[in-house]
Amino acid sequence: MNGKGIRIEGLSKRYGKGDTAVDALKQVDMQVAPGEVVGLIGPSGSGKSTLLKCLGAVIDPSGGRMTLGDQVIFDDGWKVRNLRALRRDKIGFVFQAPYLIPFLDVIDNVALLPMLTGMPNDQARAQALELLTALDVQHRISAMPSQLSGGEQQRVAIARGLINRPPVILADEPTAPLDSTRAMAVMRILNNMARKFETAIIVVTHDEKIIPTFKRIYHIRDGVTHEQVGEGRSLE
Amino acid sequence: MISLAGRDILHAWGKFVFTGIGLGLLIGVTLVMAGVYRGMVDDGKVLLDNSGADLWVVQKGTLGPYAESSSINDDRYRGLLGIPGIAQAANVTYLTMQIGRSDGDVRAMVVGIAPGAAGTPGWPPYLIAGRQITRSHYEAVADIASGFQLGDYLNIRRNQYRVVGLTRRMVSSSGDPMVFIPLKDAQQAQFLKDNDTLWQNRRRTEANPAFNRAEVPGLLAAINASQETSQSVNAVLVRLQPGQAADQAAEAIRRWKRLTTYTRPQMEAILIGKLIATSARQIGMFLIILALVSAAIVAFIIYSLTMDKIREIAVLKLIGTKNRTIAAMIMQQSLALGLIGFVVGKITATFAAPFFPKYVLLIPQDSVVGFFAVLAICGLASLIAIRMALKVDPAEAIGG
Amino acid sequence: MTRRTLALLAVLVPLLALFVYVGLSSGPLAPVAVTLATVQDRSLSPTLFGIGTVEARYTYKIGPTLTGRIKRLDVQVGDQVKAGQVLGEMEPVDLDERVRSQQAAAKRAEAVLREAEARRRYAQSQAQRFEKLFAKRMTSEEIISTKRQELQIADAVLSAAREDLARGASDYQALVAQRRNLRLTAPTDGVVAARNADPGTTIVAGQAVIELIDPDSLWINTRFDQISASKLEAGLPASIVLRSRNGQALDGRVLRAEPMADAVTEEILAKVAFEAPAQALPPIGELAEVSVALPALAATPVLPNAAVSLHAGRIGVWQVLDRALQFTPISLGAADLDGWVQVLAGLESGARVVVYREKALTERSRLHVVEQIPGVPR
Repeated sequence: MNGKGIRIEGLSKRYGKGDTAVDALKQVDMQVAPGEVVGLIGPSGSGKSTLLKCLGAVIDPSGGRMTLGDQVIFDDGWKVRNLRALRRDKIGFVFQAPYLIPFLDVIDNVALLPMLTGMPNDQARAQALELLTALDVQHRISAMPSQLSGGEQQRVAIARGLINRPPVILADEPTAPLDSTRAMAVMRILNNMARKFETAIIVVTHDEKIIPTFKRIYHIRDGVTHEQVGEGRSLE
Repeated sequence: MISLAGRDILHAWGKFVFTGIGLGLLIGVTLVMAGVYRGMVDDGKVLLDNSGADLWVVQKGTLGPYAESSSINDDRYRGLLGIPGIAQAANVTYLTMQIGRSDGDVRAMVVGIAPGAAGTPGWPPYLIAGRQITRSHYEAVADIASGFQLGDYLNIRRNQYRVVGLTRRMVSSSGDPMVFIPLKDAQQAQFLKDNDTLWQNRRRTEANPAFNRAEVPGLLAAINASQETSQSVNAVLVRLQPGQAADQAAEAIRRWKRLTTYTRPQMEAILIGKLIATSARQIGMFLIILALVSAAIVAFIIYSLTMDKIREIAVLKLIGTKNRTIAAMIMQQSLALGLIGFVVGKITATFAAPFFPKYVLLIPQDSVVGFFAVLAICGLASLIAIRMALKVDPAEAIGG
Repeated sequence: MTRRTLALLAVLVPLLALFVYVGLSSGPLAPVAVTLATVQDRSLSPTLFGIGTVEARYTYKIGPTLTGRIKRLDVQVGDQVKAGQVLGEMEPVDLDERVRSQQAAAKRAEAVLREAEARRRYAQSQAQRFEKLFAKRMTSEEIISTKRQELQIADAVLSAAREDLARGASDYQALVAQRRNLRLTAPTDGVVAARNADPGTTIVAGQAVIELIDPDSLWINTRFDQISASKLEAGLPASIVLRSRNGQALDGRVLRAEPMADAVTEEILAKVAFEAPAQALPPIGELAEVSVALPALAATPVLPNAAVSLHAGRIGVWQVLDRALQFTPISLGAADLDGWVQVLAGLESGARVVVYREKALTERSRLHVVEQIPGVPR
């Protein structure tokens, strides 16, 4: 925990100005260590999405402080010049729908990021293959996303989120479209990956099937987070 | 580095190729349009080329013989031959008329060519079948576009002419096929009135007591004869001796023979600058409209292709793809579409050109200009889609 | 992936191939389709071609020598007439009466003559009687002188009466001749070609009333363009096609080439006669096409006139030399009506030249040699 992972202190987000201002986030405090998978749950309108967007550096928080590893990335203002590079290099995304690029096959979907940043294609594909093998979808690397099952797509999406070895992965309802067996499988993978790559994973969900698997849960209600110990049920 | 545009095209190549073919047909129409203009200019140029003349001597003060009617006496050429530097001078008549054929008639320009041999100004410079005219009357060389064949008979006024030779691309400035007949026949055809008019004229003269005088037998016949002959031609075509300056000779003719004389560049300016100026502007308007329509269509196609990928673009942006990469993807797709369109358009235009009733001339310069215009239009048209793609909020990928 | 790429290539490669083909087969890079011919030695029989109108060699315009009115005309256009036949007559007005008066005057002169003769006989017998008496001196000298003088007077009166009679007869003859001159008679056998006036019309002296032609003397007054009419001379065989009998050639012969040419129309005139008298008479003035065959020329290199072209201000042909194209200036000689023309200089027989071509050639043109230019119907 010593300065690694992600730490959020007093993060707030206000939409609008003056009388019509809405405080979507009031007081968010979170800390996720490398290798840890935490749940972020809350009812609709509680500020989950806003928090996710703030963490993903796609909207600007109004105040507070975010530290990624040793680097303060936000302290009442972004401390990083290139947010897109920050997203690319430091944050992995896994979405509710996998949002794979439909015109690229599985391996290129995963290898896309490093290829775009100048890594030779072969090397990027080798890395991708490694990840896909770890996720047990190596047999589908030449398939197009539309040919995959939901679980396979989600695994490919996870692989894509992991390809740049980001310190943080933000997963938005990763199990929503899946049945419980597959949902459990996804959670198992996320946990394995977190351990394997020393990644801090925040899973935003309200999927009752997987909530019991978290060891630690952040509840968010009216823009305020409350930390809570989860059941930590075994996934095996 | 991976080519996102190429991969996208590869993924949906059917849609892409068919869109490109559709665009290509539009580009083909645009190229044909330019070809129609070039064809009109070329019609004028071949008219001048085929006449084999260096100078055109016409009635004083007219823009004849193609752009205006002109009439000069048919013995003026003899005087011209005396001017230094002139190698050959030949009378010529031009008359656009309907020519009788066994099945109806065809619009053609009848050219009366001076007696002589091949190479005389006004004669068809080359044939594709048959032979040149050898008899001094009642033979014709027709352009193949008129539909006549060797051995056919065609009717001009009251006489029948046998087609002995065929030409290609011998047309008037308005694209009508030419029919060459001997000069004397053509003079008759041009200036001789129909039989009814002749009879009426004779009776009119007969009724005039000044002409019909009993004490002068033969006066009436002489007057009738003089009324029914013609010694006019439309122009004299002059060929200069090799190395002779055209302007100098033209100036000599203007000064000493008091006839209007045009050199080749002047004649071209008349044909292209005056005769087809409005048509050229008309086609220019069409070209602009077609370019705008093409641009709008390319813009729309690229825009909708981009709209289909808006989610993917948001994801790409979220996971940290550079704007340049995304813009390049859209631009490359647009250019590829333009490329396919151009190739298809060029092929369509080339194969469609011969089917147009008027000459369509596709020149490589136009294709090259068209190629870059297509690329420029596609590049510009993609800007709208690029602008939209860059405005996509990566947060959309996260949803909620 | 590979299948997709292949499918895309399957579309794009033919498209590109088509594009390249289109670029090469049209436009300035495209080869020009031409047909070739070999210059060969051949004897040409040039033919002159002219047109003319049917005319009669002799046209007799018959009219009165004096102004007068037509009394009667006995013939119509187309009638055959014999030499001497009366065709019509002018109104004599008072001529007949004058003839009768002259007849009466002659008779009267005869009577006067008889009277003068009677007087002279009496005067002579008186003179003889008194001469005898005077010889016997039975009369006076004075009386005999008177009788002699009376005889001389009677002699003079008689000769005056004789001359009077002769004058009256001549006057009568003159009037009869005048009367005869009012008749319009045919000078020769022929056909009436025109009847310009009808009875009752007043005609001035010299105006033609009847035009007579000799059908055996029809000829074609033919006009040949000066440019091609060298060697036109009498005796050459000709073929005549009348406009009304298109396609039916009649034999003819050049009777003479006129020494006077037409300067305005730039034509040479010649008279071409029918070899055999025309069966049905063609109307005078009908148009006829005349082809005159000239004697065959010595064999020289000849080529089709379609091969002749103008390039850079010179007459010549496009010659094919070992696949290369070259413009060879030539000078041309006589030509015949079938389109062959003699090469006087510039080409040897055996040379390959371009005859027909799709478009104008230049030295850089690529050739595509064909049997027939595409698009020309067979």
